[in-house]
Amino acid sequence: MNKLLLIINEMREEAGHESIESLEASMDLREDLTLDSFMLAELTVRIEDEFDVDIFEDGIVQTIGEIIAKIEGV
Amino acid sequence: MEKVFLVHNKIAYTYEKLLLDLNNKENESPYLYVKDNHPYDIFLGIVHSLLFDYPIEVLDGDFSENEISELGINVNSLTLKTKMKERLNFQKLDEIMQRVKDIENWQLTLYTSGTTGRPKKMSHTFHTLTRNVKIHKKFDNDIWAFAYNPTHMAGLQVFFQAFLNQNTLIYIFDESMKKVPALIEEFQITHISSTATFYRNVLPYLHGNTYAMVKRVTFGGEKFDLLLEDKLKAVFPNAKMINIYASTEAGSLFTAQHDTFEISPEHQQWVKITAQQELCIHHSLLGHSESLSLVNDWFHTGDLIEMVDDTHFKFQSRQSDMINVGGYKVNPLEVENILMQVPGVIDILVKSKKNSVTGELLVADVIKNQEIDEREFKKELKQYASIHLQEWKVPRIIKFVDELPSTRTGKKVRK
Repeated sequence: MNKLLLIINEMREEAGHESIESLEASMDLREDLTLDSFMLAELTVRIEDEFDVDIFEDGIVQTIGEIIAKIEGV
Repeated sequence: MEKVFLVHNKIAYTYEKLLLDLNNKENESPYLYVKDNHPYDIFLGIVHSLLFDYPIEVLDGDFSENEISELGINVNSLTLKTKMKERLNFQKLDEIMQRVKDIENWQLTLYTSGTTGRPKKMSHTFHTLTRNVKIHKKFDNDIWAFAYNPTHMAGLQVFFQAFLNQNTLIYIFDESMKKVPALIEEFQITHISSTATFYRNVLPYLHGNTYAMVKRVTFGGEKFDLLLEDKLKAVFPNAKMINIYASTEAGSLFTAQHDTFEISPEHQQWVKITAQQELCIHHSLLGHSESLSLVNDWFHTGDLIEMVDDTHFKFQSRQSDMINVGGYKVNPLEVENILMQVPGVIDILVKSKKNSVTGELLVADVIKNQEIDEREFKKELKQYASIHLQEWKVPRIIKFVDELPSTRTGKKVRK
């Protein structure tokens, strides 16, 4: 979760947004973190670089919790 | 009840209102440049120019002033208006439809990412824009989800298909994906046309439900994705899935079920492939452009195809450097030219990174002046790109490197 927070904050910082304090498993990527498709693509690439997992491979990722589950291979 | 033309941001614009606004519009403008791409204003502008038969240039509201200047347009001329010489008073929508059928000279101009790094200007007639529009009584009750940028070719295709059949358009392009399922239900949407990227993003919110009213799901602008089609089939069990090959140069040309595109009999003599398997289109099927490079009247699309039989083909890949970010074509040269203007950039290479959300994404390798702080400079580069370029042209991941690969001729290697 910490590593993911780091990745998301790096993205936010580069885009000129304020960083966030913490992540909750229930956070919705599009609604709560307001990621549009370009930012989701960016997140996917960054996570793939770090964890070697394509979180969008099956197309159905909605929350932070679902990303964590994919990274942990659950 | 009055028939609704467009629903956008919870506001319903009726055909009655459209008629009234067309009758009341006192000025004509050569450019249609609408802040935030407000769809009603864009559609009103297009229909007005069509009815009064004056040419119009449609500019993406996402263009920065800098980009507009790059197109060779004086920013001050965007607000140019002339008072209409002739005013007409339409009483019924049918009169409008009748008048549209008699259009002769009308031209609509769009700008597309060109292969030289400078966007090229493409002018279309009513005929090339609406070539694949089908008008029939059986389409009377179609309700369209509008999920494209309204200033781009694909959006115009959907607009004309819906408008010429007097259908209702539900604008979902910048709606939050979460609201899309409720909009499909509320308005009983029957037709959706969008990019694979859009469907991938909305899928998590549709997943697990079925929408029996949706009769047709159309894909355009991006490489066909069989896996995605299967998932959408589960959500839209009654929908026919169609792929469309359209471009800013040619409008909508081929359609496919699955990945095999058909060349219709009337187009056969105007389509050919080269020995290198590149798809070529005869200029008679294209819009008009000064900057379009033709080889003996043929436009080389840069798309590599494989013929299945005499009238069917499949796409292989692209030959050119153009990068497709979620259905938007980007010329990496254009982005490089802009970012080279940032003080501290010594050289830059913009390339594609594959991903399962938008197909491709722009990333940049940058050689920077040594003294500059990396973190701050990344921020600065992205900010500069956001101000000067449309959002899909912004490199999302920037890496600082000491050197860039090049071929023996000194050309940059983008792989």
